[in-house]
Amino acid sequence: MDKIITIRINGRPVRARAGQTVMEAARSVGIDIPSLCHHPAVTPLGACRICLVEIERQRSLQPACTFPVMEGLRIETESPPVVAERKFILQMLFSEGNHYCMFCERSGDCELQALAYRYGLDHWTYANPYQPKAVDGTRKYFFMDRSRCILCRRCVRACAELAANHTLGVKFRGAKSMICADIDDPFGESTCVSCGTCLQICPTGALVDRLSAYTGNETQVERTKSVCLFCSVGCGTQIITRAGQVLRVEGEWEEHNHGVLCEMGRFAPFYEQRRRVETPLWRENGVLGPVSWEEALERLAEKIRMTPPDRIGAWSTTRTLNLTLSEFAAVFQVRIGTRVHVLESTLGKLELPVGGALSDLLVSDCILVIGGDPLTDQPVLGYNIKRACQRGASLILVSENGNSLRPWARHSLPPSELERAMKMIQASAAPVIVYGADTGQREAEALKALKRKAQFIPLFPASNGYHAKVLGLRFGPGREVKDLDVVYLMLGDIQTPEEGAHEARKAGFLVVQASYYGPVVQAADLVLPALIWAEQEGSLYNLEGKKVAVRRAVPIPQGMVPENEVFTQLAALL
Amino acid sequence: MTKNGLFSAQVTLATDWLADCAGCHMSLLDMDEKLVQLLDLVKITSSPITDLKHPPEGGVVVGILSGAVNNTTNLEVAKMMRDRCKVLVAMGDCAVLGGIATLRNFFDMDEALKRAYVDTESTVDGFVPQSPELSRPIPVLPVDQVVKVDAYLPGCPPSPEAIYHLIGELLIGRLPVAGGEYLKYD
Repeated sequence: MDKIITIRINGRPVRARAGQTVMEAARSVGIDIPSLCHHPAVTPLGACRICLVEIERQRSLQPACTFPVMEGLRIETESPPVVAERKFILQMLFSEGNHYCMFCERSGDCELQALAYRYGLDHWTYANPYQPKAVDGTRKYFFMDRSRCILCRRCVRACAELAANHTLGVKFRGAKSMICADIDDPFGESTCVSCGTCLQICPTGALVDRLSAYTGNETQVERTKSVCLFCSVGCGTQIITRAGQVLRVEGEWEEHNHGVLCEMGRFAPFYEQRRRVETPLWRENGVLGPVSWEEALERLAEKIRMTPPDRIGAWSTTRTLNLTLSEFAAVFQVRIGTRVHVLESTLGKLELPVGGALSDLLVSDCILVIGGDPLTDQPVLGYNIKRACQRGASLILVSENGNSLRPWARHSLPPSELERAMKMIQASAAPVIVYGADTGQREAEALKALKRKAQFIPLFPASNGYHAKVLGLRFGPGREVKDLDVVYLMLGDIQTPEEGAHEARKAGFLVVQASYYGPVVQAADLVLPALIWAEQEGSLYNLEGKKVAVRRAVPIPQGMVPENEVFTQLAALL
Repeated sequence: MTKNGLFSAQVTLATDWLADCAGCHMSLLDMDEKLVQLLDLVKITSSPITDLKHPPEGGVVVGILSGAVNNTTNLEVAKMMRDRCKVLVAMGDCAVLGGIATLRNFFDMDEALKRAYVDTESTVDGFVPQSPELSRPIPVLPVDQVVKVDAYLPGCPPSPEAIYHLIGELLIGRLPVAGGEYLKYD
């Protein structure tokens, strides 16, 4: 427990914890000290000087974001010298770069603009014949207008501390300083992983999302707190919408991902090229044609009634919500009496513990990654592993031939040398074992010995693998498709390979529930449309085993029915 | 004769525009019936939207300029307004800060003229006008870098309410300071 001390802010006694900064202490009691370079998610830097406050017995004004509280400190946050200094700093900021609000994307949401309003800057004291700095538009998803940058270095810190990627830096000195990537590479050709954390944390209009630019400022949009469905980390998100259209996605600062998302969750969904399945489709004379929901479900129910349960097969993706999975199991397993399977591993066979959290990684001193490539498949978890390495944790990578975490691993061992890795785990204080679907059965057996010693984080290949595991759903083909008269595939929005279609086509009658056209849909006898991420409402279990709420951000398109309701309606017809 | 007998004489006011889009004057007109009320107290001697364009030689109390200074004519207009008014107000982002037109400062002047008069997609056989009667383009500047400005009202454009507030403040003898809801940069 930190020591509680008393300070005075604007004459008001304030209790603060020793070790807090003046800014933190003030904000905890609702005293607003303005800031630009400061952001709670990254280390304080004191770069912009806008948070300067008057502190008794200090020679000059001090930045509140870096000044630690001490017993008896007396602070003035809006005294005349403080306000004068802040106005001066704002004038300096406006004298450099392009800060013309009228054609800026961020006007209305810009933190620099908000401060100019707050301190009543009705004109610029210093002439602004700014030297334009290069615009970098080489990145696919967002661009940077360096002339709008105030060099607060939030992006630099977010890149280094949150994504642990260290792509961004500052080149040159003085008025020529500017943000750059790596050894001054174009952003698009740099080591940037397109996580977009810098874009989200930028206080001005220097970083602009291409797709959502000029589509509305904060007063015109709605934010829906939801969960990313694109991998099992289940990052907290805010889906930003306007008039039923999704504009962009931002990471939720208050969740386990601490505002960070990855390319898969933040940008890729907006570049979806596949065509949506909009109505149920029925194959008549070899051609798929639209049919009503009633007719589709009626015909499906009839088909199922006429087929013995052992000649029906049902598979579902685990990239779906709790209710969808449980209804799917209830209808096919309990009601119809057939065995159901899932399309992605649930890690059930490994019988290893679960329950480790992302936060465990950050306090860990030794991390073992086996049977998975989190930096590629669960990137936000991968970033957390890199952050842990940055803090001194040693990473042991157990894999046949290394993977994208290899550069950060202190030891990279083949599975045959797991014994060595386990000795290192035994010798560490707070180990975490991150295991994926490629973990061998023999290795899993061995790792069980560390049950009490380590935290275990499972890398489910799809977002709701945890729930599928809890429901006891099995992964795998299970049975030969060619032996089945009716095959039901719940695909949701997953990408399906050509071979999958080839295999599925062997079924007597193929039913596919999918969001997008693809090879398997083209092979189906009956197609039922499925919702996509922003339309889903319900819950899922993330890989930490935490139940999280997925909220609908846009209305369901006309003629669509949520997946779980389809199963309920089908059950009623059987 | 004014309806309000307290005022023996109306306050004289002149407005003019420099390099701008006319949006600020549109906003002035958007005061609607308030503009009619103001006319009881204020005599608008000249403006870009009346027959008389330039402030009278005898001078006015309030001069309002919108737009940035971007050629030699603008320079003359700004200086004339300064000479002939007691209180000069810079109205709108272009007059106060320079505005969109300042983007031109990043290009060579010949290059900019060629782009505008010759290279425009819709232009056939274009040429850069060279007549000595024409004013000469200069780097774009906000008004206060050319003449002394007494009050500022940024906004693109400033709202009719802000302009009304500004003139109201001047009428009661205060130098207006844009703030709160009247301070906008876009």
